[in-house]
Amino acid sequence: MCFMRNLKNIFQQVVFLFFTLLLSANSFAHHVLGRPAYSLNEDSNTPPSMQVETQIGNYFVTYMIFPAFPKPGEKGRINIYASRIDSGDTLASPITFLVRDGGWFADKTEEQLGTQDVYDGVYRQGFVFKEKGSYIITAKFEADGEPYSIDFPLQIGESSSMIPIGIALGSIVLLLVVVNIVQRKRLMREKILDSRSPS
Amino acid sequence: MIMTHPGLPEPWGYLVWAFMLLLGLWSLTAKVPQQLQRRTLNLNDFWLTRPLLRFMLHSPWPLRLLKLVVVGLFLLVIVAGLYGTPIAGRNLATVLTWNIWWAGLIVSIFFLGSAWCAVCPWDTLASWMVRPRLWFGKINNSLDLKVPRYLRSVWPALLMFIGLTWLELGVGVTTSPYATALLSLLMIVLATLAMALFRNKAFCRYICPVGRTVGFYSQLAPVELRPIDTDICAACTTLECYNGSDSVDPCPTQLVMGTLSQNTYCTSCGNCVRSCPQENVSWRLRPPSYEAVADARPHWDEAWFMLGLLALTAFHGLTMMPFWEQWMTALAQQIGDSGQLLTSFSIGLIISLLLPVLLYALTIFVLQRLNGSKVGFRKLFTGMVFITLPLAFAYHLAHNLNHLVREGVGLAAMFLNPLGTGLEPLSMAEKHQRHFDMLISQDLLFTIQGLLMMFGFWIAIKVLRHRGQRLLPSAGWRLLPVLLFIILVNAFHLWLLMQPMIMRM
Repeated sequence: MCFMRNLKNIFQQVVFLFFTLLLSANSFAHHVLGRPAYSLNEDSNTPPSMQVETQIGNYFVTYMIFPAFPKPGEKGRINIYASRIDSGDTLASPITFLVRDGGWFADKTEEQLGTQDVYDGVYRQGFVFKEKGSYIITAKFEADGEPYSIDFPLQIGESSSMIPIGIALGSIVLLLVVVNIVQRKRLMREKILDSRSPS
Repeated sequence: MIMTHPGLPEPWGYLVWAFMLLLGLWSLTAKVPQQLQRRTLNLNDFWLTRPLLRFMLHSPWPLRLLKLVVVGLFLLVIVAGLYGTPIAGRNLATVLTWNIWWAGLIVSIFFLGSAWCAVCPWDTLASWMVRPRLWFGKINNSLDLKVPRYLRSVWPALLMFIGLTWLELGVGVTTSPYATALLSLLMIVLATLAMALFRNKAFCRYICPVGRTVGFYSQLAPVELRPIDTDICAACTTLECYNGSDSVDPCPTQLVMGTLSQNTYCTSCGNCVRSCPQENVSWRLRPPSYEAVADARPHWDEAWFMLGLLALTAFHGLTMMPFWEQWMTALAQQIGDSGQLLTSFSIGLIISLLLPVLLYALTIFVLQRLNGSKVGFRKLFTGMVFITLPLAFAYHLAHNLNHLVREGVGLAAMFLNPLGTGLEPLSMAEKHQRHFDMLISQDLLFTIQGLLMMFGFWIAIKVLRHRGQRLLPSAGWRLLPVLLFIILVNAFHLWLLMQPMIMRM
């Protein structure tokens, strides 16, 4: 009996852990992208590039940005390499590139950058952004009768670093103010109770 | 191109295997001594260490100064992460946090126990904001609420540790200076929130995944803070170590020195040393296995944390193997996962957590059956779990040493340009140079790794023999299931160490 109760207890803990992890995974899984890597091509004079490798359905997709840190008004290029995981065959159908603002509260309307055919195994899409910001590039294509859509981040100019500091400091200050107010109310209540109680 | 570190050479593998088999056989046949011989060395008794300890512990200033340095570095990490280059290998935020601190922290426990907690910048910053001690006195911005009963366990810390692993290895915080800085800010907010709401240091004791990891591993540290004379503590009625004094804060994790038997919740802050009017508290040296073998008391939540440590430590190693990505790719194709393959990663993480737990539960079940169910499953589960601690710690040390020794090169130069301003990504030539330019020779590294694997196994066997003797006095060969579990886990860790490991950045 005791063993069964403990086994049940373990099972409950495991189920709890499982669902905690599953929920946390699902909440991020849709738009989280491959990890960026920065590299220097030593065989040419091109500036460093940013590269993201990812996978979707039956395809490995590599996405490169030239230059690695594009600035507003500066010409840049996106290169995409897509090949089948099983055979390594290069994707042949055209890819359409769309862009939208990647900010949390930004307008999510998409604009089309262009549609590109494969040339020498690479899809090349040029861009010039006038304003700095965090953008999301969407690459759409069809393969084996299925629609494919992949999102990639593109940072133009430097990211705004004051926002996280502002949020962290703001929340700490707010917390301390609230605690202070509660403490003062507590003290007042205690004083009132003390004055009412018979000495 | 993926660059890998070479694994432990085969001869070392055979040597560790031979050691495990011999020691395993010996443990089944040799008689367990009835009493453990307790030998400790009080560091206050040595002419060399006495003045140093007095200087470090009897005045708050040395510790304050150290805290100031660590907080300065921590703030530099945040600034570098937010404003510096996004190239992980060129930014101090990622290199200092993941290659040096995260890897070096585990190594520091081996020598200094929970010393890191004494200078932890999360707690220091939270204390400066919530309970600052100024020249005119002490300000208290905390509500000093009692920690709710459901939070008074290490479950929150275990969940945080799993979350941190998910962020570190799944989301890839280690390769993003910006995300590293955000995580640092988040930890300050959490530490401040806990301190502003609850009395003492609830964050350190129940929530902090780093603090609890340090705490549990400190059971195997060769140092401890303990009373010099237990009779003085027994006669003490004021308990300054617990309550604090006018000038010294109380114990942050509410420990009473007179009854302290394990390092798990000690943060090495030294408040007890400064507040004790009898000067009866001191650091002392001890054999690294006492606590896990005898002193540490079994608890249900702590047993799960230790199992979590074992599982997550192996998981760290597993994700750095070249075949891990192939597994993830295959799984993602099966379930239709795309992008960063986070769902596949999460499934891998869950399986890696479940497997050792289920294996351990099965081991305890078989042990109980073999011994005629005299002792309850829960008692055996929590009592025997200490075998996992040396196994996890030894592998963690061996794995992290690889990172520290091979990836910790060039840190001094990074301080000249911590933000990596104007620097290009690491070239292949530079990566190769770093690969060969190690802090110690490769042979010495392999020797230390091999010895660590033997050390972990040896301590686990000691724990098995002594705890087994106490829980099941007439068990003898019937402890075999647990011995097999120890051999299996250590062999798996050894195999992981023998594989080539992918460089972090």
